[in-house]
Amino acid sequence: MTEPHGTTAGRAEEAAEEWHSGTDHHPEIDWVAAERSPEFRELVKKKNAFVVPATIFFLAWYTGFVLLCGYAPGFMGEEFLVDGLTVGYVLALSQFVMVWGLAAWYLRKSDREFDPLAKRAADRAVELAETGAAGGRFERSQEDAPTAAEEVTRR
Amino acid sequence: MTFIAADVNELALSIFAAVVALTLFVTYLASKRVTSATDFWAAGRGLTGVQNGFAIAGDYMSAASFLGIAGLIFLFGFDGFLYSVGFLVAFLTVLFLLGERMRNSGKYTIADVLSFRMKERPARSAAALGTLSVAGFYLIAQMVGAGVLIQALVGIDFTLSVILTGAFMIVYIVMGGMLATSWVQIIKAVLLMTATIVLTLFVLGKVGWNPVNLFTEARAESPEGQAYLEPGLFLSSPIDTVSLGLALVLGTAGLPHILMRFFTVPDAKAARSSVMWAVVLIGGFYVMTTALGFGARAILGSGAEEAVGSGGNLAAPLLAEEVGGGAGTVGGDLFLAIIAAVAFATILAVVAGLVISASGAVAHDVWSNVVRHGKDSEKEEIWVAKIAAVGIGAIAIAIAVIGGEGLNVSFMVGLAFAVAASAIFPALLLALTWRRFNTSGSITGVLVGVISSIALVIISPTVWPGPDSEGGALGFYDLANPGIVSIPLGFIGCWLGTVLSREAVAERSFDELYVRSETGLGAEAGTGLTLTGRRSGARAAAVTTTLPYL
Repeated sequence: MTEPHGTTAGRAEEAAEEWHSGTDHHPEIDWVAAERSPEFRELVKKKNAFVVPATIFFLAWYTGFVLLCGYAPGFMGEEFLVDGLTVGYVLALSQFVMVWGLAAWYLRKSDREFDPLAKRAADRAVELAETGAAGGRFERSQEDAPTAAEEVTRR
Repeated sequence: MTFIAADVNELALSIFAAVVALTLFVTYLASKRVTSATDFWAAGRGLTGVQNGFAIAGDYMSAASFLGIAGLIFLFGFDGFLYSVGFLVAFLTVLFLLGERMRNSGKYTIADVLSFRMKERPARSAAALGTLSVAGFYLIAQMVGAGVLIQALVGIDFTLSVILTGAFMIVYIVMGGMLATSWVQIIKAVLLMTATIVLTLFVLGKVGWNPVNLFTEARAESPEGQAYLEPGLFLSSPIDTVSLGLALVLGTAGLPHILMRFFTVPDAKAARSSVMWAVVLIGGFYVMTTALGFGARAILGSGAEEAVGSGGNLAAPLLAEEVGGGAGTVGGDLFLAIIAAVAFATILAVVAGLVISASGAVAHDVWSNVVRHGKDSEKEEIWVAKIAAVGIGAIAIAIAVIGGEGLNVSFMVGLAFAVAASAIFPALLLALTWRRFNTSGSITGVLVGVISSIALVIISPTVWPGPDSEGGALGFYDLANPGIVSIPLGFIGCWLGTVLSREAVAERSFDELYVRSETGLGAEAGTGLTLTGRRSGARAAAVTTTLPYL
């Protein structure tokens, strides 16, 4: 795969064609700066601190259940407290409780914690774009000159 | 009418007609409102979280879950319930990893997200290929299932049943787009939940309101005894059980018709709450499959094994007839007819969702963006979508009719989940989270996922040499479910294609996709569309995420 690095107008057009996206891009925002902003980093850090362990936990709990079904059918068929109720069925029900519990917990955390952080990060990105447009653009383009291809993708 | 057998169930037919009339009325309302592409593909992003939660449930729970799982539990006990668990847990993958991100960064199809920072035409083509494979396999399985079920339950000939199902599905989409499809799914979810709750209450009443009696009485009615309550009767190979479990839990997060539903809500918060509603409904339903499946065994007994059919699909309808008072009684006939109509509504809602996602891949991805380079008008895109929906529907009808009721479709839903888990899920997840991921990685990933899933299913014992055979054609490989091999292969394909090439643009524009998917900044606004009109002052994405000068 070759990366388009057009230097002439013709090649830039070709690159625009190749990289055009049906989803509208918004070059007026400085996305690199937005991604580096402390507000965005805090959002990602806080969110991952919940989502990553929660994902590992539910995949482990579920895979463990499936493994037990596959490799320990006898254990899964053992009686749990009363005759007829099996360990397997109780563990299966625990999966339902886990789904409802984790989903509700995530919704609560999102409303109280992640949404306000996301709003702050978004506001910050808009703010950076506004100040960037007003003054900072020249310096930035000097230190990190965008390639023609990048320029057209952003357009 | 030669198509309608002598033993046509008129009661079921009239309830069918009532359900269809309701869905057509909703479609008529929708047809007057849908004007823009956003209206057509995404119901104007005007659905509330509750509405979309019901629609997700309606889109997701196919006849395979309603009749199939009840039948599997009736025939094989505990193993059938394993499907219920997998189908539900899958929604945590959707909630944590993809739902909100799709809403924040996509427009109409999953390819919008996948190709966001890639070379558009190849990446979009790959995503469209994945979408069409999943929707195609799923659709054919549903169409054949529809024909078989309607023939058995109502007495309408297989061919006519398939044609009717296909015709209604095409009408919903061509007339009312996603708005009509969503409401058909909402109606179906309400009908399915209501019928299942009533049936569960009747069953529980029969066993003295003690759920544990379901198990002891089912065990007493099974020749397998205690083994009926243990895993292993249906899924006898442990590694196959694990493979199936993985495909279920990751495949749902790659089903294009489910992911597309997240584009119909105004913002990430609504996307999130729609998953919550969906897991409450879907989870509640799957818990009740206990009563349907074990209840059918306890109440119908082993004598019904012949009557429920080879896949056990008629266990739930027969159970309804029995608890309603038995065959020939008014209550029994009525309950059977209601369950048959609910099964029909279930199929209609699922096939409509599948076809609109497939027509999205054809019209929005392939036609509008690959062929026309994004230079076509909205009007043209909608027209192509409608033509595509008719074409896809016609092809599915043709395959189902020509293949006939004997067509072996049992592996096809499994194949759809395997392709979704191995081709679509890895590429989507990596596009959203891995900066280095690029166009060649997404193409190799999707191709490896699609090809390996199909190839492994072809050489699996259920397909070649055929069902009921001992061992696979190749001897050393005998998995019926390819997930445990094909999902890692899909991820390896993504990785390998990526590290063998370098695309600075894809890496640079990762920042934009990353920030947008996490914050919703720049997310597409809605048109305020509802079934009966438009909300005044159409609510934009979310107040905070709308850029003032865009």
